Amino acid sequence: MTQAAPRVAGGPARSGHSPAEPAPGAGRAALGSVLRMVALVLGAFVFLFPFYYMLVQSLQDESDTSVGGALPIGGWTLDNYSDINSRVDLAGSLVNSGIFTGGVILGTVVFGVLAGYALARLHFRGQGMLFAAMLLVQLVPFQLLMIPLYVMIVRNYGLADSYLGMILPFAINSTAVFIFRQFFLQLPEDLFSAARIDGAGELRILWSIALPLVRPALLTAVLITFIGPWNEFLWPFLITKDTDMQPLAVSLANYLSNVAGRASNPYGAILAGACVLAAPAVALFVAFQRHFTTSDLGSGVKG
Amino acid sequence: MNRTATAAALLTVALGATACGGGDSGGSSDDLATKGPIKIWLSNNPEELAWGKAMVADWNAAHPKEKVTAQEIPAGKSSEEVIGAAITAGNAPCLVYNTSPAAVPQFQKQGGLVALDDFPGGADYIESRSGDTAEQYKSPDGKYYQLPWKSNPVMIFYNKDLLKKAGVDPENPPLSTYDDFLATSEKIVSSGAAQAAIWPSPASEFFQSWFDFYPLYAAQSGGKQLVEDGKATFNDADGQAVANFWAEMYEKGYSQKEAASGDVFADEKAAMAIVGPWAIAVYGDKVDWGAAPVPTESGTSPEETWTFSDAKNVAIYSACKAKGTAWGLLKFSTSKEQDGSLLDKTGQMPLRSDLESAYPDYFSSHPDYEQFAAQAARTVEVPNVPNSIEIWQTFRDNYSNAVIFGKESVDAALQKSADEIDKLAGQS
Amino acid sequence: MTTTTAPAPAPSREPGRRRSRRTALLGRQPLGIAFAAPYALFLATVFAYPLGLAVWISFHDYFFAAPGATVPRPFVGFDNYVTVLSDADVRQSFVNVGIFLLINVPLTVVLALLLATALNTAIRGRTFFRVSYYVPYITASVAVVAVWLVLFSKDGLVNQLLGALAPDPSWLVNETLAMPLIAVFVTWKQLGLYILLYLAALQNVPKELYESAQVDGATRWQQMRNVTVPGVRPATTLVVILAFITGANLFTEPYLLTGGGGPDGASASPVLVMYQKGIQQGNADVAAAIGVLLVVAVLIVSLVNRRLLERD
Repeated sequence: MTQAAPRVAGGPARSGHSPAEPAPGAGRAALGSVLRMVALVLGAFVFLFPFYYMLVQSLQDESDTSVGGALPIGGWTLDNYSDINSRVDLAGSLVNSGIFTGGVILGTVVFGVLAGYALARLHFRGQGMLFAAMLLVQLVPFQLLMIPLYVMIVRNYGLADSYLGMILPFAINSTAVFIFRQFFLQLPEDLFSAARIDGAGELRILWSIALPLVRPALLTAVLITFIGPWNEFLWPFLITKDTDMQPLAVSLANYLSNVAGRASNPYGAILAGACVLAAPAVALFVAFQRHFTTSDLGSGVKG
Repeated sequence: MNRTATAAALLTVALGATACGGGDSGGSSDDLATKGPIKIWLSNNPEELAWGKAMVADWNAAHPKEKVTAQEIPAGKSSEEVIGAAITAGNAPCLVYNTSPAAVPQFQKQGGLVALDDFPGGADYIESRSGDTAEQYKSPDGKYYQLPWKSNPVMIFYNKDLLKKAGVDPENPPLSTYDDFLATSEKIVSSGAAQAAIWPSPASEFFQSWFDFYPLYAAQSGGKQLVEDGKATFNDADGQAVANFWAEMYEKGYSQKEAASGDVFADEKAAMAIVGPWAIAVYGDKVDWGAAPVPTESGTSPEETWTFSDAKNVAIYSACKAKGTAWGLLKFSTSKEQDGSLLDKTGQMPLRSDLESAYPDYFSSHPDYEQFAAQAARTVEVPNVPNSIEIWQTFRDNYSNAVIFGKESVDAALQKSADEIDKLAGQS
Repeated sequence: MTTTTAPAPAPSREPGRRRSRRTALLGRQPLGIAFAAPYALFLATVFAYPLGLAVWISFHDYFFAAPGATVPRPFVGFDNYVTVLSDADVRQSFVNVGIFLLINVPLTVVLALLLATALNTAIRGRTFFRVSYYVPYITASVAVVAVWLVLFSKDGLVNQLLGALAPDPSWLVNETLAMPLIAVFVTWKQLGLYILLYLAALQNVPKELYESAQVDGATRWQQMRNVTVPGVRPATTLVVILAFITGANLFTEPYLLTGGGGPDGASASPVLVMYQKGIQQGNADVAAAIGVLLVVAVLIVSLVNRRLLERD
């Protein structure tokens, strides 16, 4: 396939890049762009509607599933949220989620970058096998490994009810390693050969050349790595019995399965819980999506 | 691609060799008299939690060297999975005040439970507290691996307001025979008083049959379990009567085939519900309710109607390092005083014989609960047989297919279930 | 993945470095071993060991037991696999996942490419659109499933809008509709990631190709077909493989949306059945067999997929 000249990543944010087709000409292009707009708006509506519905119903004091209920005028209340807050320590759970997710991101960034770099630019024994293993990991469903992993972590390592126990199975995200590898592969060879010719050691090359450039890939990888542990329910649920340690996904699921049925608007309570879980992720994404451009992933999908 | 295949092969083969069980044999003491601090798990039902915390506080005050720490686990559908995983990992607590009798065979097979008979006076304690009912909780080897703790005998709750709207007598609704029940249901639905006459969950988890088929089967058969002497019992006239009754309820639309979110009885989407006394605390103010025993084909007097117990028990787990304390706490928490406190705080029925005469004050001040106490003497438990969960799942799958969705004849489904269950129960 | 066989680029010249035995043994930059070591160790512990154990379990009569409990674990050869393959529920679950993939993968590819192409142009409110398409991807299934359950329940909004056209029995309890509905749900939820991938790939399609196509008088549609689609072929391969793997390992959605596997097992997935048999019912051996079969099937299909799609 055709390729553009290899691009040096780390360039400025590309939100202003030129569109796929050049200057519009005739009315046909204008019609096309109107249609496109309509399609996008429709699509956005379909995508966002469930969230709108979620938010609206969670603020209602009575559940109403009719069509009219989608656009309620009255009956607003914050009771559902206070219900949850009284039963689940929202702040504490959020902190636990943060620690869990943060630990995973840390592990992935530190060790994943090293591994990705090694797989891409260094030549060492066992490289091929490690690469194949990395791919294989993404194939296997977690449920197959769950109990042996649980036994190992709790029985052999004694890490039940600990943050480390929660983090360990997710510590280095293989998809992120793949992204890092692809990214480092795209860097121009000359950078490295020049440095090697100058006699720089591998460590030096990594530190002074590769790492400063890695930022765009870093953001992509962080986004992808973030979602897993933030929303992960099954594993922390098994590992932690201490309610103080449970991340938000687990606390909310517990609440949903047991207590929500008793609230005055069970629907609303469930949906309020859902909003609470979703809000931080959405907020973070909206805040950072500016930095997180599409050029970094371009390396992942080139030939 | 060569590499991938090689890598995969190497990984799995080479590491399969390391997979020889892994882990050491834990340091759990086999001495049943050891005392020391212990951990227990309580369900996260708020009233039970309140009782549990008070009970633990009382114990801790009297036994400073044998401190008890209580944690809550979700009482939901995955509590058995959590306990099973904990047994495997060796970090199960000493006591779980939420052990489902259906899961006991599995936990026992895993080596996760301690036989209570092994404690001095163990079996006597259980039998003197619970009387004849204790028999149902013995394991096939004749020992007790669980202490029958509390039950929630299920009855039919009805919403008096909705019944009135439907033109049915709210004080004495005709609900004791199948014909009466069907007729009442017809009135409820056709008058538009509620969406469904009664709405048991149609979901296919293994335990759902405990709240539609099993209570009625217990009543119709006069107290038989699903499996007795290693054979399925329900493939007979009684079982067919119950299953056909429910099939008609679903077919005529008196019960819904789809699960609802939230509580259908509280939301007044259904006029009736099959629940136990725990529901009184939940519905007490929201709904003007009444209760009646579950129906049988030709009607049975309330004093002779059986039902499902929905019991939750307590077991001592083998990972416990201070079994002496565990046994002591178990006896303490099921004493007459603590049982009374449980009754008072949660309204659930401790599995004691002669409940009404043991706590006359409570029942005179809470007349609502009295009928449940009477019913508690006639409850049927899930059978304590190997592969118990798989048995219930098999039953549910076939039941769902035939009774709820009408895809197969009821009799054929019961026959199929019985055949498969005979096989499962026969394994050791 | 497109770059599987691309080895690390060899430096063209390395004056001053002898080809020593060390190089032959450990590679040109053995420091790479040190860099990769933590990751390799992680994989070995957290992945290889449990996987190896799972495979071992699948060949024995096995159930999990308490530490210190002695239980017989006889080797049973392929018995578990035979049991699994003759179990109608398991076969049904593989069929279900097949249905799921038939709907989900093409839908994902088409929608993602179309939306990415649309988003690639200079339009107003692009940020808003990007965010709105990514939002389902970053929210937890647990959270979002609740809304869908409400929307698609018997008296939910969707059925009320459809009026007489509403299916009976309703969506999630309908044998023929349950799995397709789940497929649509998962497509909706995951689309953000794939739009991202396509957006990235679209950057690599040179402007000149579009320009020359326009000069030749091609309509926008023809441009799409002849320039865009071939231009993003590697991305398509990646999207197909990722969607396929995610779909084959489907668990959360059937678990949450249809409880024990839906009407007559119509929406059970292999991983759900594996979970039920292994963890709920304690038959770890049968569950492991299902898992191994699934991994092998996915591996084979992925490789075949890649071969087919990469044929240039």
